[in-house]
Amino acid sequence: MGLYFKFMKIHFKSELQYKLSFALSFISQFIVFFGYYFTIICLFDKFSNIKGFTMYEVLLTFSIIQFGFSFCETFFRGIDTFDDLIINGTFDRLLLRPQNILLQVFVNEVSFVKASRLIQSIIILIISIINLDVIWEFDKIITLIFMLFASVILFLSIFILAASYCFFTVKGLEVRNVFTDGGKHMAQYPIGIFKKGFVFVFTYIIPYGFVNYYPLLYLLSKENNKIFIISPLITIVYLIPSVIIFYKGMKRYSSVGS
Amino acid sequence: MSFIEVKHINKTFKVPVKSNGRFSTLKTFFNRKYNYIKAINDISFSIKKGEIVGYIGPNGAGKSTTIKMLSGILVPDSGNIIIDKMIPWKDRKKYVSKIGVVFGQRSQLWWDIPAIDSFNLLKDIYKLNDKEYEKTLNELIELLNLKDIINIPVRNLSLGNRMKCEIAASLIHRPKILFLDEPTIGLDAVSKKIVREFIKKINKQNKVTVILTTHDMADIEALAKRIILIGKGKLLYDGSLNLLKKKYDYLRKITVISKDKLKIEEDYVIQQKNIENGIEFIIDIRKIEINEFIKLLSSKISISDIDIDNGNIDELIVKLYEDFKI
Repeated sequence: MGLYFKFMKIHFKSELQYKLSFALSFISQFIVFFGYYFTIICLFDKFSNIKGFTMYEVLLTFSIIQFGFSFCETFFRGIDTFDDLIINGTFDRLLLRPQNILLQVFVNEVSFVKASRLIQSIIILIISIINLDVIWEFDKIITLIFMLFASVILFLSIFILAASYCFFTVKGLEVRNVFTDGGKHMAQYPIGIFKKGFVFVFTYIIPYGFVNYYPLLYLLSKENNKIFIISPLITIVYLIPSVIIFYKGMKRYSSVGS
Repeated sequence: MSFIEVKHINKTFKVPVKSNGRFSTLKTFFNRKYNYIKAINDISFSIKKGEIVGYIGPNGAGKSTTIKMLSGILVPDSGNIIIDKMIPWKDRKKYVSKIGVVFGQRSQLWWDIPAIDSFNLLKDIYKLNDKEYEKTLNELIELLNLKDIINIPVRNLSLGNRMKCEIAASLIHRPKILFLDEPTIGLDAVSKKIVREFIKKINKQNKVTVILTTHDMADIEALAKRIILIGKGKLLYDGSLNLLKKKYDYLRKITVISKDKLKIEEDYVIQQKNIENGIEFIIDIRKIEINEFIKLLSSKISISDIDIDNGNIDELIVKLYEDFKI
């Protein structure tokens, strides 16, 4: 963990070498992704609710998904750009160091520019929390923390799974984006508003539902079963096989010429 | 048992076949065909502790692949590698803390920050204690004369200075074995000399075993008493450079400047040519010693100048490659 922060420091130092470029990218990221939230606000300007979910409820799920996604993009960006790592041969270098491989991959790239989206998601999250009609008792707070945690874990597992794909065909394909970006866009809404088939996919195949739907129902007192509080933790079960597949794939690794 | 023991290793790569024509990209997407290329074909050798070995061969011979297998990045399809009682790819963490690797064409330093920051991070990666690290760092700074360059962002360094930092970075954890993959590529004469002398020094002082690949035969002449030559994945020669020279480097070009004319018809003269103001001989030194030949010349003609071409090692290698048909 200490090593992780040392790496962060190095990355921060590198990024600050280009201060103006850093500042401009940071601001532009902020503005571009504000567009997402703006769409929702416009949508709810016409309709007061979607299948029983109000604007702030949707904004809450939206910001939780954005939080997990941008958290991984900021702090574990190396796994998102894993195909580059293999193609330019950096991965060989990581194999030559006496440290955990996956950890080294995570920290190989850290993007502080993406932190702009992270901050944005936190702002929206706070706004929705203030405006939601929820009494914030202990169990509700725990549920929310679990949701945020699960969001990070889920995206992390998806990124790892997508990265493992590179071991089987050197260049990662767009297939991964179906699950990351595509899934992300769907999951930004409470998945209950979609047809049954989608709900099935996003519950059992990629458990987005456990990040922001089932616990959400508890949060909004639509369900009272306590099991919904810990439902987000199911994502951990999803992380374990992803890590195993990654290491299985690593055994097949065949490097690139120099 | 030897320090480094390589036995009958093989490695085959699967390379997708590219085809041309309409929709070929689409076709290959669904139905890929592969070529199987045998990169390493039954190679065995052993290396003693403290040796410097030059690992040479033409492009694509399998040099880098071997280095990658020796350093544990790649796993051979069959065969055994045991280095310092470890199997590189099985005891990865333990093994890599004992070796240093320099890829001449790839950097391990962070591009935008001074090298000293990279060194400090490596200290944490290798879990070195402060005292040990300070000592090694100061030693390296002194030996490679890095004092003025480690505080400049790496991207602003010249290639020669960068390579010095690269080598220092790979030695910061005091490895027992150093792998150098084309360490002098693209360097100027002065930097090359510094790098070579440094490699010699750490080999002698710290008993570091060095394995280097290179295309620059002057590297080999300066450093390695022993060479391993491979071509198309096969081991072609393993032994001393001198022996190889004796075997393949037997032609000398002798140019004499003289007003006299002379024709020698003996079997040791391979070729004879009259040039503007003298004669050019190519002789076979296995059949006659050079001083004998010069004696013979001076007894027959008056010589105003003489030049003996000492057989370029590059030509020797070209001859070798031709001989082995690689």
